[in-house]
Amino acid sequence: MKRRFATLMALSLAVGALTACGSKTDATVPVESNTAAATSSASSESMEGTTTGPASAEGRQEITFWHYMSEDKEGKFVKQAVEEFNNSQNEIYVTAEYLPRKELMKQYTIGVVSGELPDCGMVDNPDHNSYASMGVFEDITDLYNSWPDAKFMEGSINSCYYEGKLYGLPWGNNCLGLFYNREMLDAAGVKVPSTWSELEAACEKLTTDTVKGLAISAIGSEEGTFQYMPWLLSSGGSVTDLTSEGSKESMSFLYKLIDKGYISRECVNWTQADAEKQFASGQAAMMINGPWQFSGLEEDAPGLDYRVAQVPKADNGTYASVLGGENVAICAGANVDASWKFLTWITSKEKSQEICKSIGRFSPRSDVDIQVMFADDPLNSVFAEVMPSAQSRGPSPDWPEISTAIYTAQQEVFTGQKDVETAMADAQAKIDKLNAQ
Amino acid sequence: MGQNRRERQEQLLGYCLILPAVIYMLIFIGYPIVYNWIISFQVVTAKTLGSKVRELAGFGNYKAVFAEVTFWESLLHTFIYTAGCLVIQFSLGFIFAVFFAKKFTLSKYIRGFIVISWMLPVTVTALVFKFMFAEGNGIINTILMSLHIIRKPIGWLLNGNTAMFGLIIANSWVGIPFNMLLLTTGLNNIPGDIYEAASIDGANSIQKFMRITIPLLKPTIMSVLVLGFVLTFKVFDLVYVMTGGGPVSATEVLSTYSYKLSFQLFHFGEGAAVANVLFVCLFFVALVYLRTISRDETM
Repeated sequence: MKRRFATLMALSLAVGALTACGSKTDATVPVESNTAAATSSASSESMEGTTTGPASAEGRQEITFWHYMSEDKEGKFVKQAVEEFNNSQNEIYVTAEYLPRKELMKQYTIGVVSGELPDCGMVDNPDHNSYASMGVFEDITDLYNSWPDAKFMEGSINSCYYEGKLYGLPWGNNCLGLFYNREMLDAAGVKVPSTWSELEAACEKLTTDTVKGLAISAIGSEEGTFQYMPWLLSSGGSVTDLTSEGSKESMSFLYKLIDKGYISRECVNWTQADAEKQFASGQAAMMINGPWQFSGLEEDAPGLDYRVAQVPKADNGTYASVLGGENVAICAGANVDASWKFLTWITSKEKSQEICKSIGRFSPRSDVDIQVMFADDPLNSVFAEVMPSAQSRGPSPDWPEISTAIYTAQQEVFTGQKDVETAMADAQAKIDKLNAQ
Repeated sequence: MGQNRRERQEQLLGYCLILPAVIYMLIFIGYPIVYNWIISFQVVTAKTLGSKVRELAGFGNYKAVFAEVTFWESLLHTFIYTAGCLVIQFSLGFIFAVFFAKKFTLSKYIRGFIVISWMLPVTVTALVFKFMFAEGNGIINTILMSLHIIRKPIGWLLNGNTAMFGLIIANSWVGIPFNMLLLTTGLNNIPGDIYEAASIDGANSIQKFMRITIPLLKPTIMSVLVLGFVLTFKVFDLVYVMTGGGPVSATEVLSTYSYKLSFQLFHFGEGAAVANVLFVCLFFVALVYLRTISRDETM
């Protein structure tokens, strides 16, 4: 009896430990509903923008929309757009819910099992295929084909296809460029680097005891892979052949910059937001980052004199950038008609152009000419120029694993655990294994 | 006979009283555990997650996980982390407990002050330590440099070995007050007259500590160690925020590895298998603990 009791107690102790951990993660799910905020702001009529009277959900079809545009920055504009949609008609009422990106991704996965999915939501484009294969999203091929306004750039809409069927619409695009601090470059007498050797030379002059030449993110996540892509592509490397000379050259070059102290070794723990903080605080003279950082830089360092250029190209290579961005999709078993109406409204030519501009993205629509749109904007015009040639990641349902292989190799090299040769060979072996399956 | 019936009735009432708690446990704690065991024996990937009927994998998930070097590394890291934390937090916690038992002026207040680190949310602690251990402008490097202990800044969280060290330090900072509190309670429960009697018999303070304090504190020490082990072994948030299991996989522990498998690579079956290994480890520790406790009681 006593022994059985002891076993039971042991079980409950162990169980308690495990579930405590589980329930904690549930409790921290920061689902913040915008409904309350939306209605209160509408009734106070003090918000800028549309105040055509309080919109209420009464008697309308209600749908929820999940997004990960951070509340205090891009999220404001998403909220505004949703309010505008709610006021523009009286059939559908949309509630926008913000969740941090990682949390949102996790909730989709959990939602597949629990059935608790929103009606529609946002997804990072390299992940779209995986979630489509999971059955998170509704097949909207027929709806799309009968939509007269279905005009999107090829690379963007392709990321929404899985096994020949369409599971979403592109929401916004971005890509990477080289941000540089004009004051620092002038003071060091350095002109904006356009090739790798020029970049190395510039870093040498710019790096001091307190300032690093360049800030990048090489963190162990999708962001790390995203940041590595322009280098990889420029020297003729590719994600399908990491052991090629071009692929190895790009990794060796970045490692050289770290080894010489031009890039902080801490980049393996930095997200792109962390790199932005380094640049904003003047601890890095240049950084690799994207147009979504403009608003952050404005806030963190209002007076910072900076410009953007293309990511430097390999000495014998071409300029390259990587396509980033989000798609929107309708979730399985949701109110498809209402969601479709909302999504086609928000990705229509006029709205897409407007929202993308305010959130630091580029419209993925082929009928919006971003180069004309940003012709006299010194910062955005660079990205607008790069955009059409930016290469997408995947699309492949295996992308998360491919990406893991790549950022792991990058971290192994940057922390000095493996040499370039071995790390790249190991990563390639992992990818080959996936293809063999 | 009558006696027996009343006994049985009382027993029945007892069972009725604990019934709600048992039902609660079965639904909210039992079900997730059982579910986790089930999916660890199924083929659960991105494609099959949504389907009701899934292929059986047998021990396939376990075999796949055991074939990964990262799994064995994370198992080892989990043990290193737990052992490191236990040694530091228990020894320092013990010293603090004995020290504050002296009841000097302000001792209560200082003790209360120390407990603050235990009450902070782990995410906050993790972020603070991440900043303090930063290579460029972290305060730890700044202090060590100005004291001329090190010449070049150390990338604490950038290097496999030191990253684990950083995690252990951060967790010990939280664990010390926890150990101290429990041990203080244990110390207070030792009647003062035993010490008095020992003094009359001519025992010195070392003898009193070794012969009275330690033996009488043994049950408390055991619970502190086991609770500490369980709490430390299942670490997730601290590692996730401070290093994310990196650099590369130098600080990957079982819980973060399981999370990565499930929610980043979508190998849910394998993620569940890793979680179950964690479960089995904790189960055995708890078992050993209860055995020791019950042996002590029968003595």
